[in-house]
Amino acid sequence: MIRGGSSYISSPPAFSNDAKRLLVCTANTVSIFSTSTALQVASLEGHTAAVTSVIVVPGTKVLCYCWTASLDGTIRYWDFSVPELLKTLDVKMPIFSMVIPSIVGQPAESNEKLTDVFAYLSIEDKKVQENRPKAMHGQIRKCNLTASRMVGGLILKETPQPEFITVSSSGKFFGIRNKRKLHVWSVPAIDSGRSLAKKITLHHSKTLSVLAFHPTERIVAAGDVTGRILVWRGFGYRTFSTGDELVNKEEEHPGVRGNDDADSCSTWHWHSAEVKVLSFSSDGAYLYSGGKEGVLVVWQLDTGKKKFLPRIGSPLLCFTDSPDPTLSSISCADNLIHMLEMPSMDILKTISGIKLPHSFPGRYEGLSSGFAFDYTSGLVALRTESYGIQFYSLFDDHGMYEVQVCERNHQPGDEISVVVILVALSQDGSMMSTVEVKLPEEGIGGLVCLKFWALGSENKKFTLSTVIYEPHRDAGISAVAFHPTRHMAVSSSYGGDFKVWVCNDEIHQKGQTLQNSGWACLAVGAYKKKPMTAAAFSLDGSVLAVAAETVITLWDPDKNVLLAVIGETFSPIVTLSFAGKSEYLVSVSRDPKPQLSVWNMSKLSLSWSYRLHIEAVACAVDLLSFAVLALLPESSMCTESNESMSQGRDGAILLFNVMDPVPVASWSVRKAKGGGLSFLQGNPSFLEENISDGNAPKELLVYVNGDHEYVLFDPYSNEANEVSMARRKGLVELEETGQVGYASIYGELPEFKRNQTSLVPSVPSERPWETIFSGSSHNLPPLTKLCAAFLESLMEKRTAAVE
Amino acid sequence: MAEPNSTFKPIKPKLKPKPRTPKQTPESKYWSSFKNHQIPDLISSITSLTFSPSPPHPFAATHSTSLKIFNPQTLSPSSTISSFSDVVSSASFRCDGLLIAASDLSGLIQVFDVKTRTPLRKLRSHTRPVRFLKYPLHDKLHLVSGGDDAVVKYWDVASETPLLELLGHKDYVRCGDFSPVSHEMCVTGSYDHTVKLWDVRVTGSKTVMEVNHGKPVESVVFLPSGGLVATAGGNSVKIWDFIGGGKMVYSMEGHTKTVTSVCVGRVGKENVEEGREHRVLSVGLDGYMKVFDYGRMKVTHSMRFPAPLMSIGFSPDCGVRVIGSSNGVMYVGKRKTKEENVDTGLRSFWSLGVEEERRVMRPSYFRYFHRGQGDKPKEGDYLVMRPKKVKLAEHDKLLKKFRHKEALVSVLGNKNPENVVAVMEELVARRKLLKCVENLDNEELGLLLMFLQKYSTVPRFSGLLMGLTKKVLEMRVEDIRGSEALKGQIRNLKRSVEEEIRIQHSLQELQGIISPLLRIAGRG
Repeated sequence: MIRGGSSYISSPPAFSNDAKRLLVCTANTVSIFSTSTALQVASLEGHTAAVTSVIVVPGTKVLCYCWTASLDGTIRYWDFSVPELLKTLDVKMPIFSMVIPSIVGQPAESNEKLTDVFAYLSIEDKKVQENRPKAMHGQIRKCNLTASRMVGGLILKETPQPEFITVSSSGKFFGIRNKRKLHVWSVPAIDSGRSLAKKITLHHSKTLSVLAFHPTERIVAAGDVTGRILVWRGFGYRTFSTGDELVNKEEEHPGVRGNDDADSCSTWHWHSAEVKVLSFSSDGAYLYSGGKEGVLVVWQLDTGKKKFLPRIGSPLLCFTDSPDPTLSSISCADNLIHMLEMPSMDILKTISGIKLPHSFPGRYEGLSSGFAFDYTSGLVALRTESYGIQFYSLFDDHGMYEVQVCERNHQPGDEISVVVILVALSQDGSMMSTVEVKLPEEGIGGLVCLKFWALGSENKKFTLSTVIYEPHRDAGISAVAFHPTRHMAVSSSYGGDFKVWVCNDEIHQKGQTLQNSGWACLAVGAYKKKPMTAAAFSLDGSVLAVAAETVITLWDPDKNVLLAVIGETFSPIVTLSFAGKSEYLVSVSRDPKPQLSVWNMSKLSLSWSYRLHIEAVACAVDLLSFAVLALLPESSMCTESNESMSQGRDGAILLFNVMDPVPVASWSVRKAKGGGLSFLQGNPSFLEENISDGNAPKELLVYVNGDHEYVLFDPYSNEANEVSMARRKGLVELEETGQVGYASIYGELPEFKRNQTSLVPSVPSERPWETIFSGSSHNLPPLTKLCAAFLESLMEKRTAAVE
Repeated sequence: MAEPNSTFKPIKPKLKPKPRTPKQTPESKYWSSFKNHQIPDLISSITSLTFSPSPPHPFAATHSTSLKIFNPQTLSPSSTISSFSDVVSSASFRCDGLLIAASDLSGLIQVFDVKTRTPLRKLRSHTRPVRFLKYPLHDKLHLVSGGDDAVVKYWDVASETPLLELLGHKDYVRCGDFSPVSHEMCVTGSYDHTVKLWDVRVTGSKTVMEVNHGKPVESVVFLPSGGLVATAGGNSVKIWDFIGGGKMVYSMEGHTKTVTSVCVGRVGKENVEEGREHRVLSVGLDGYMKVFDYGRMKVTHSMRFPAPLMSIGFSPDCGVRVIGSSNGVMYVGKRKTKEENVDTGLRSFWSLGVEEERRVMRPSYFRYFHRGQGDKPKEGDYLVMRPKKVKLAEHDKLLKKFRHKEALVSVLGNKNPENVVAVMEELVARRKLLKCVENLDNEELGLLLMFLQKYSTVPRFSGLLMGLTKKVLEMRVEDIRGSEALKGQIRNLKRSVEEEIRIQHSLQELQGIISPLLRIAGRG
């Protein structure tokens, strides 16, 4: 079982002390990337919920310790060079943000004092009653990390929602934003459990979104939702003064509201939308800001002069400075982390995660084929917001490359006007077709464009082969499907016709292999002028099935002859798929009457059907089985929600044999809306590390959920998730009462839990030589550490001895 | 890894459809590389064209009662022989190129010295007009002739006597050719539809082989292998396999009128292997020259001339292709040959040497410090490329700065409709087109209206422009009313729209007529 596809941008990353590694929070783990190659080198596994903060303990370059905080309510201390868990603290409340001012401020030399290390946490208090009018869910608390306990009864601030805490790089101040206010605390010089941090509040007329502290001076900058940047200088002299400082109260404070404790406040305005990123450079001369426009702005702090890094292509979320002054990183909303070479702001490397789902305007919302899977090489092709296709390796869990479908600069803030609505890959993965739509402005200038791409033989990248403007006049395209063996494709349109396209490869002279491959229309077909809503080729390519709204028409693709018309569903069919080599055809229709139907092609009749809302269908190539991703009906959700079992599971994967309406296997999943499902050919390199006994699975099932996290597993052997399934069975028996929905049809399901890595003994500690010896030799941890880890791995390990 | 897309992408006009078959194959490129010259003012039709086998391959054209020999380099007549009493019908160079024989319609055959133009021999025996004569390859002593008396004669030139009289044709003999592999075999074609292969060693005027072309044979030529023969007659050119027993290999029916002459041409490329490079060139009264690849049985090139064509010749060094028309104009195609290139190369080499001698750089010159900057890289040099700079047009620069209206105005001034439409599409994608239209002042609006008038009915752009025209008229109606000039523009626009509607009507009428026919044809 392989998991992956997690977001890299959920919380700010952190650089290691030598700036050679970047620690990125990826769901329940912290992934460590090399900054020079942008490839993953290790991961810290152990948290059972999303990791929200990672703080590297500063010090000399060889020091590799970090603190992590997670929504599972624990704070953990790691040695990430090995990687090894050193310490766990249980706070018992989900932590949204954590700062440790004392370790930031005082570098390693203060260690001999052995003062306690205090962390300030932003936590969510679930005990607060919902019915109170202004429920304060968020709390800022203090925690003694050395003594592993919370500082009792000390709540610095309550906020409606848990807020992100920002700390100054000197460690003297930390602060949060709270609606239109800014709360800044001064950390006591000698921190102890008793000593209370003093607080000041700065006010603004707009809702603030982000703040940043100057590294040396008393300057705090904050951005608001309208795009203004406010810079308060000299804050907190009155409140934070230790007594001997002279305070002249009569002085005028330009720009400062009310009785706020600051010398002056100046406003800069360049951003047109909310400021998301604010950060001072390490010397304090510059301020970096960014937002939805995808432009990184560098302000000269004294003069307010600007420099830009434009056209990053997606909203900025986070700017992280590294200990190396020439390197920093920016996190973008499309799951990318760019490494910037600093003074010049050139993008050196990019860590590209799987593209996150983005919104589609109006009628393109519900289109099913959001993903295209490459059956043989285990790639998934996803549409990106910047009019491209990303190829993401499911086995290796990293982005391969991107193909720009539409030669256009993406402006993240703008209204969406160009959309890639469809992507299809041929079965051998050598051909791709994309459909992009230019939305019209008040009825003029709309354009549908079908493009065919061919895989280059040398660089294994897709290059544009043919562009077809308005392939079906101005009607939209509902589906594109490739012939399984030949260079043939079909596109069906809502305008009432479908077209069969062929690629004519022409090799001219044998001396110069001048290959002029272009796609041309071979045939046009229509059935009673009904909108064609789906299309599929049979596995041997002899039959082409095109859905004309509620009926399925079968065609001979070569002669373009209508062979047969079958069936009638209640609502238009959105997906068609042939079940392997069998004579069965699977069709899916959605609103208003969702239906999953299996048609027998030899009898030309309905074999069996269910009333289910199907999100995706995947058919195995060789076997007679297919899998569907079904959204659970609302009614069953409600009854189950009071049980603890549901946990936000809104979908189920059902594995059917075409002959038999009773599912062979089923798993329940989360975030099924907008998910995808496909069979992939078993990858030999993946098998050898996964399968202990001989029987290798021929095909793997991949499930991509609505957030583009995915899991790969063998649907037949069930070996990998045997543990979880056995446990789930016990749970299911407890709740026999009142089964409705699909549970009433098939009986209870063996459950497949997504977040159960903890049950499987952690894998990386078993074969550490794969990770610790990889990478260049100057990156290797000291020999003592290597030796311990290596020897430990030779010993038999019982459990992950945590807690 | 993802490319950082931080570079500005200039707008690109939509691609135009490419023709299904490429416009120019390498071969048609070769044939059109013959640069056309015309040699006018020859009297009457050009009855035959022949090239000298010896370099530099001068060619002889017969027309009216004279024979002209042309220099292939300058294409000017180097000498004219006019001691004929009747129309000259045919001429042939001897294999060494020193003598030329010519026949005329009085039945007389004369042999001239090419240099001095003196008639050396007069062969008198034909009683009717002689239509062709031919020197064999590698044989300086004999020639063959044929004429309207239906007799083919094999002459001993020195003694001016016919050695053989080959009888067998039943009608005028019009053409003939010697085999390229044997100087004793020849073919003749006649108006009795037959082509006969003769062997001069066989006595008793027996043909070795005979094939029936099916139409009066106008021209016959041996193909270089010696086994195949191309014959022209009627609208077709036929390829016969004489070694394989005289069966027809292919019949090329590309011409629409009588094919008057064929000859063998060559694609002068080194990388094409032997045997694939010879072509049959044919000309006809329909004014077409066609190049036929008899290896692939395909017409590879076709060219039209404005007059009926009578004769064709192709120089053995592939440098010159001559076509004679019926109205006294000769169409000469000339290619740059290698010798010329070498010559010019040599000259430039010498001139370079002279220049280098003149210019010796010293550190006292300013240019000394810039020396070598313009040098071209040598073969083995490793090139360090500078990243290519994207050139941005004016409208791209303005779009980059989000100055949408200025971009639209600037591209409207550039008179390139594809770019204008591309900018408009980009503006649509940015949701700014209508705002731009709103902000145009009267002069700029006039520019836009002029563009719309010109291009809104062009099918490639009409999808966008018709909608835009409507919107523009809706939005700017007040301004248009206020200005005379704009009113004029609108009148023009209306006229062009009306014209387009007329065209559409007539096209629909046509479609109405055709569609029942098509339906019937489809049913059948």
